[in-house]
Parts: sequence; structure tokens; C-alpha cells
Amino acid sequence: GGAKGNGPTLASAAGSLLETWPTSASSLSSDGYKDLYVYQLDHPTRVLEWTSGKTICVAGFGPDRNEILELHLPPKLFADENKGLCAERDFKVVHGGFSDGPVHRLRHIQGTRCVVTNNGRSSSLQVWDVGDDESDVFRRTSSIEGAAPLAGQAAGERGSQVAAGPSPQPCVLHGALLGHVQLSQLASGDTCYTLETDSSEPLSALQFVSPWVFLACCRNGNLFAVDTRSPSLPPPTPVPPPPEASTDPVHWGMHATAGADVAGCRVARLSSGAEVVVSDLRNPGGPARRALLEVPADGSAGDHLRVSWAPALEDCLAVSGFDGGVQVFSVSTWGPEAREQRALFQHRGHSVLPSERSAPVRTTAHAWHPDRPRTLLSAATDGSVHVWDWVHPGAAQD
Amino acid sequence: RENFCSSITAEPAMIDVGRSCILVSIGGKNIMLDCGMHMGFNDDRRFPDFSYITQNGRLTEFLDCVIISHFHLDHCGALPYMSEMVGYDGPIYMTHPTKAICPILLEDFRKITVDKKGETNFFTSQMIKDCMKKVVPLNLHQTVQVDEELEIKAYYAGHVLGAAMVQIKVGSESVVYTGDYNMTPDRHLGAAWIDKCRPDLLISESTYATTIRDSKRCRERDFLKKVHETVERGGKVLIPVFALGRAQELCILLETFWERMNLKAPIYFSTGMTEKANHYYKLFITWTNQKIRKTFVQRNMFEFKHIKPFDRSYADNPGPMVVFATPGMLHAGQSLQIFKKWAGNEKNMVIMPGYCVQGTIGHKILNGQRKLELEGRSTVEKFFYLKSLYLEVKLQVEYMSFSAHADAKGIMQLIRMAEPRNMLLVHGEAVKMEFLKGKIEQEFNCYMPANGETTTVTTNPNVPVDISLNLLKREMSLGGTLPDPKKPRTMHGTLIMKENSLRLVSPEQAMKELGLSEHHLRFTCRVQLQDPHSDADTLHRIYMHLKSVLKGYTTQHLPDSMSVMVESIVVKVSSSTEDPNTKVLLLSWSYQDEDLGSFLSTLLKKGLPSVLC
Repeated sequence: GGAKGNGPTLASAAGSLLETWPTSASSLSSDGYKDLYVYQLDHPTRVLEWTSGKTICVAGFGPDRNEILELHLPPKLFADENKGLCAERDFKVVHGGFSDGPVHRLRHIQGTRCVVTNNGRSSSLQVWDVGDDESDVFRRTSSIEGAAPLAGQAAGERGSQVAAGPSPQPCVLHGALLGHVQLSQLASGDTCYTLETDSSEPLSALQFVSPWVFLACCRNGNLFAVDTRSPSLPPPTPVPPPPEASTDPVHWGMHATAGADVAGCRVARLSSGAEVVVSDLRNPGGPARRALLEVPADGSAGDHLRVSWAPALEDCLAVSGFDGGVQVFSVSTWGPEAREQRALFQHRGHSVLPSERSAPVRTTAHAWHPDRPRTLLSAATDGSVHVWDWVHPGAAQD
Repeated sequence: RENFCSSITAEPAMIDVGRSCILVSIGGKNIMLDCGMHMGFNDDRRFPDFSYITQNGRLTEFLDCVIISHFHLDHCGALPYMSEMVGYDGPIYMTHPTKAICPILLEDFRKITVDKKGETNFFTSQMIKDCMKKVVPLNLHQTVQVDEELEIKAYYAGHVLGAAMVQIKVGSESVVYTGDYNMTPDRHLGAAWIDKCRPDLLISESTYATTIRDSKRCRERDFLKKVHETVERGGKVLIPVFALGRAQELCILLETFWERMNLKAPIYFSTGMTEKANHYYKLFITWTNQKIRKTFVQRNMFEFKHIKPFDRSYADNPGPMVVFATPGMLHAGQSLQIFKKWAGNEKNMVIMPGYCVQGTIGHKILNGQRKLELEGRSTVEKFFYLKSLYLEVKLQVEYMSFSAHADAKGIMQLIRMAEPRNMLLVHGEAVKMEFLKGKIEQEFNCYMPANGETTTVTTNPNVPVDISLNLLKREMSLGGTLPDPKKPRTMHGTLIMKENSLRLVSPEQAMKELGLSEHHLRFTCRVQLQDPHSDADTLHRIYMHLKSVLKGYTTQHLPDSMSVMVESIVVKVSSSTEDPNTKVLLLSWSYQDEDLGSFLSTLLKKGLPSVLC
């Protein structure tokens, strides 16, 4: 086979396209994707934060000077009726800025054009004005100081978790340890709330779930639902003991479903051992849904582990950071025993595509689109960023 | 050579998003870079406004040369207008492939504008021919002497067949203009390349500087998916193409895909495409033998297993098929014929792989028009035979962009290659380029003029001067810090300019060489003092006074000559003949001690202090 007269390099170049992902399926029509876009940033990012329905922020985490970019997603992705007539598949850098250190966390504050970053080494936050139509440059407007680190606090645990505060007043919830959680006003930097506890538990996630209630998840898996109106720290919801006795220490991350109703809020906690516990805030200590994910979990996941609920799809979770992929799971079939569960869909692009790096590629972040049900973004250690719209297996592809 | 503080002026007066035409003044020479047509306008605004130049004289006198980077109409579309309608008889430089392809595109464009749209103020076919007679073709990396002082050199730019980046040099100053370029190779073109030529100014296009490009893999996947879906449902796919460029890439892609998937539907390419393509690829291949990755070396581009030459009767065959047909914008010829036959069936598809000029059917369907008025049908036909006035467009229309431009990463790569002293970004919207400017400024100086603005870049030309060894040794013996390349040190010497050489030597050597004798300058001054002492005592008092004031100097008391000396300054005391209490001090000093001498004369005029230790 093969075309006669074509030099070997050209035909094999075309052939290699077809032999690798995603067209390893027998037909292009059912390669699993409705839309697929693959980009290469100059430097990898570990943040993917929406600043609007069409724009997202990424930032470098190298040791010195890094770029922060606000990217506009390709117009073709959104051109639903006239998709064929839109040829624009590129990201557009709408705003850019320079950070003096790595950016480990980046949060957009709803209702403003501000983002808050943390460098993962200290508890201070940088506040940035993303920029408007007149200028395409991010400007650092101020800093918000966090609590000083404790004597024994490990270097890797000094960076603050950051969460957007409840509207209307623009504020930000942050802290590296449970005892250091505070809510600061964006404009003035003044503290309007502190969590009353001496606990020196390192945090892995913070998230507001209603105007008064926020969740704090510690690295050991303890989950606290804190009401800012009452002063004391409520009792924690610990994670259930692991199904098998395991000597490897695990750490946990968390994500909760968004929504105005705290009672209907579900929380998913993911461990570095690939276990997931889904709890209901109505009955936090009650029977949870559990699963052992079928992902490579060799303990080397580090702090790239991410779990997030699909905002526009029922019962769906995405998980990333175990390898070079993003796995989507449906929790509706999960029960209270931690059984092995297979992914509904696996995005393998980051590890399968040829990369300049020799080290294995690992996903660093993923983000669901706020209202397009199956659209996700994912980023990896080789600087790649993918935008993909996956097809539910078994469903007819549009 | 006369200008040691010179400047380069770049005037993108005629630049706009959608058209390139830059005027550069360097070392007294004026060069026009590109001469593009604005594709969005239908009136005179589509041409650059040359009155800026012509108000002061004719273009031929003013311009030393015109350089065209590549055959896209937004870079060469106004060339015949400029050379034949405004008037320019000087040389026009472009690469061989550009020279071969330019007239075809210009003629095509002329036909659409004049024949289809009925415009009048436009260049004619003869004007295109006359314009091309003024073209001097360029080879890659070959220095061309435009005149005694001006030289130009072309570099490979990627982007399209024959596209070049150009270095313009006058004496020790140079400018590099990129035109459109691309830093990532694709299947039939390599990536742009330039050596570390360190131009004083690098002028780069930056339209795509703020984009991050989707991978080729995903674009190709989209293309293959669309073709496959159409063929699977029994539909026909029409791909209107220009004879060169994307057509070959897409053919190769489809061929491999068909082989892999074992597909049976026929693929055709229209007649005329092969001869043209082969002819131009022969040019292309000699051109790409230099410094380009060899993606392929072909004898016959079209020996495919699954792709066959088209015959017009096949268009009526039932069942699925794919056809590549010219011309690319569906404005005439075979592609339009096929389109008319297939447009009415929604199972079919047309894939437009590039930009379509306003007025063409390609442009209309890409703007969503689903009903097209058919030309060339007489009113009689329409009336009597009730032939449809319109063509209903029911087939699926897909617009896909395969063109290659440099993005922000590409621009940074080019800058690192060439190492320019200054950078000029053009073609973008000035307001939104602050971030990129900041990024580049971390490493380089960056200028961004607005449309119509003149930019002056001051260059610091290097003036090489030989310095004598004796002078160096003398400087070293003066002590002080060791010479440091980062910290310039002031030194004294004499500059001799003889013929074309410049030398720095010690003054003594200079005088010796030039047969000059050294002159010494001495100043004298008389100061009168009232002092009721003997001359010797007055002298001693002066000595003590100066010794206490001039702490850093060695003051000498010379009673035998009735004088006090410090450096080269001599103060001689004598009394006035009329009055022994009136002392006359004669001060003299040499030119070197001018400052000290005048200080002392002022000091002594004030008189001597009464109490001296």
C-alpha cells in the first residue's frame, strides 16, 4: 500500500497522524470527540481558571519570571449553528502579564476583572487587574498578606489555598493551614473574617458553597463545613478508613457542586491513592458513595491531583493528575462500598501525542466549561493545553 | 561615511490591517517594501496613498527600489497600479517563484474585479505585463548590489511558495523586513530562517502575534472527518483550490487516509492542475535546495493510487466522490461548473481552504448566502424558459484555514535568530500590543508606530579606530582601575584621519608624523601688593601663604631667583622703583596650569594675610 512516488518522509508523516490518537478507532466519526483542539504554550500551566464563559487564565510556574495569560477560546467552538463557516480555531491572547514568581493558584473573583494568585511558597496573595478594552496588560494592584508560617510547616505546604469569596463585596478566602483561614476584602486587604481554631492542619482546598457557608478540606481528608455567622469550628467529616490496610500515606483534595442550595450540595474527595468519597452536605456523616478509580495510582501524583464536578452534567466527575490523562466518571452507579470503577471516558491526548520532553507527561489541571455539558479543557507538564468535547460512548455522534 | 549619527526612518503610512506597504529611508536611500491591495475596499481606498511621496516628485526619482516579499494580493496587489498608473520605472525585486506566480494572481484578480464587478479604474492585463518587465529576480542568500551603496539579500520565509524575508544594507546599517513568515515547517514548506545578521531594525508582521495556533493535527482531523462523513452518506465533496500549495498537501493527506481506511470512493483532481503544479514545483525544488528541511523530493507529484484526473462528465456520476478543482474562489471555470451541479443536494459538501475575494461566489457562500444569482443567463432565457434565476445552496459549506503565519512564539524565535537592535511590529492593532511589546522589551528595544506615523531609529554605527601601543602603555602606567569592557574610560590622545584610516596616537607622535612643532603657551600676569617688608621677606610670606592654601601641591621656595614655584607656575617678586613698599608680583604659567594659575592670581590680588605661621 501507500502512494507511489511519495518520498518516505511525507507519506509516513501523514500515516503517523492516522495511526496515533485520536484516530486509532476504526473510523474518524467515532473517535470519541465532537470537537478537539490542541495547543502548545511556551511554558506549562497548572491553573485553568475561567474569567468569563469564553475566556480562561493560564500561568507559568517556573522559578522566576512567568507569564499570566487570559486566552479567548476559539470562536469555532462556540459557533454552534454556523460552525462550518467559522474557520477560527486559534486561542487569542487577550490580556497578558508578568509575575515575578511561580503561579501555583489563580482565582477569578466573580463580578470583577480581578484575579488573585499565590506562588505556592508563601501565604501572601497578589491581586491583579486583568485589563479592559483599552489595554492588554495585567496590572498588579496590591498584595494581601496571609498568616506567617509556623515553625514546623513544611516548605511544600506554605502556599495558600485560595477561593473566591461570596458576592457582593469582592473578597477572597485563603490560608495554608486550617488555623490560618481568613476572608479578606479585595480592595483594602482588610480581614473581615477569621476561622477560630488553633489547628495546624495543612489545607488542600477551600470553597464557598453559599453566601455564608464554605468548605475546608485538609490534606488528611477531614472536611469542615463552616458557617461564617457562627464563631466556632464545627466537627469534621473525616474520610472513611481505606478499604485495604495501606501503609502509604495519602493526601486528599476536594470539590463541591456549585449551587445556591447548601443542602443539595455534594462533595467529592479524591485521594492520591485514587479513592473517591462522595458525601452529601445534608447528611455529611451518613453513607457516602465510594469508589476506587481505575487509574494508575503509584503515589507519585504529587500536588497536580484535581477532581471536579461537571457543572452541566448530572453525576459526572472529572479527575486528573495521576498520569497524562483526564478521566470522566459517572457516580450514579456507585454504592457505599469502595469498589473499582472504570472511567466513562478517558482523554489520553497529552501522553500519546509526541512531546519534546523525555519525562512522562502528567496533566496539571482540568476545567469543565461552565455551561457546555461535555466541553473540557486540560493542561499538562509539557505545556500542552487541549480543548475537547467528548461523546458519551454509545451515543450517536453529531 | 559623513554621517556618524545616522537614522533609519520607517514610514508605514500606507499600512493598514489588510494591506502592506512600507517606506524605509536608510542611509539616504528610499525603499518600498511590498505594495499591497486592501481586499476589503472596492474604491480607491484599496490602493496605498502615494501622494505622500509624489507631492514632492516622481516615484522613480524618489525610490531606489521596490521589494515584494510574496505573491499574496495584500502584498503585491497594488504593484501594477503603482508602476503603471502612478508611474515607477525603477527596479522591482522579488524571488523567482514570486515573479512567476504574481502575474497569474494579479490577472485572476483583475478579471474578477473588472469583468465580474464591472469596475473601471483598475489596471489592465497589459499593465501587469509591463510591470513584470521591471522585475529583477532574487535568489536566496545572494547579495544583490542595487547601486554602489545599497545591497539587498533574500532569506527563506516559509508561509507560501517563494516568500522571502529581505535584508537591506547601506554601509554599516541594515534593516530586515519579514513580510509574512512562518516558524513551523509544514508538509510542503520549511520554516523561516535567518542568520545572526544583527540588523539595526527588524520589521515584522504581527497580525497573529497574539494568537496561539491550534495544531495541524486537529485541523487535518477536522478536514478528514468532514470529507469522510460526506462520503459515507453518499455525498460529493468539492474542494476548490489554487493550483499550488494546499492542494498537494490535502491530496497527500487524503491518499494516505483512503489507504489506511480502505475507502473506495473516487478522488479526482481537475485537469490543468497537474501541469501547472509540476511546472511550479520544479521552480520550487531548485529554490528549496538551500537550507530547508527536505520534506519531499518529487519527480511527478501526482502518481497517486487513489487520486485520478478528472473528466467533466464524472460530475454527473452517481455516488460519493471527492474532487479538487481550480480556481480556488469559485469565481469561474471548472470548480464553478461543478459547484452549480452539486449545490442543490444537501448531502454534498464544499470545503473552502482559503480566503475568497469579495465578489466571488466563494466569498458569498462563506458569508452564509444560500441563494445565488446566476450570471450569464439572458433575460429571454429567464422569461421564456422560466429557468431558475437563482441557485439554491443546499450543500454543506465548510471554511477551513490551513495558512501559516508566525504567532508570538514564532516572533520571539525570529528575534533570537537575527538579534536586531530595534524591533518594529506592524500589521496589528497598536492598542492591543502592549503585552507583546513588554515581552520583547525584556530582551530588545521595541517600537510600535501607529498607521501614518514615522518612526526614527537612531543607530550608533561602529567607527573602528586603531590605537597606538605607546598610547595604551602610557594610559596603563597612569594607574587606576584595570580596563573593563563594561566601563568605558576616558583617555587623551590625538585622532589622525588620513585617507580612509583613523588612528589614535599620542600628541608627540602625531606632531612628529605630521611634521608639526610643538608650541607652548605661557600666560603672564602682574599683581601689585602693598607689603612693608623686604623683597626676601615678602617672598617668604608668599611662599608660606601658598603652601598653606595649596595643600595637595608641592610649593617650592627659590630665593636665589626671587621666586616661588608650584607646578609650572612661577611667582617672581620685585619692588616698584618708586615705592619700596609696593611689591610687584610677576606670575607666569603654562597652558596646562591655566586653572591653577588664574586661581593664584585671584588669590594674590586679595593680598597677603597679616598673620602667617
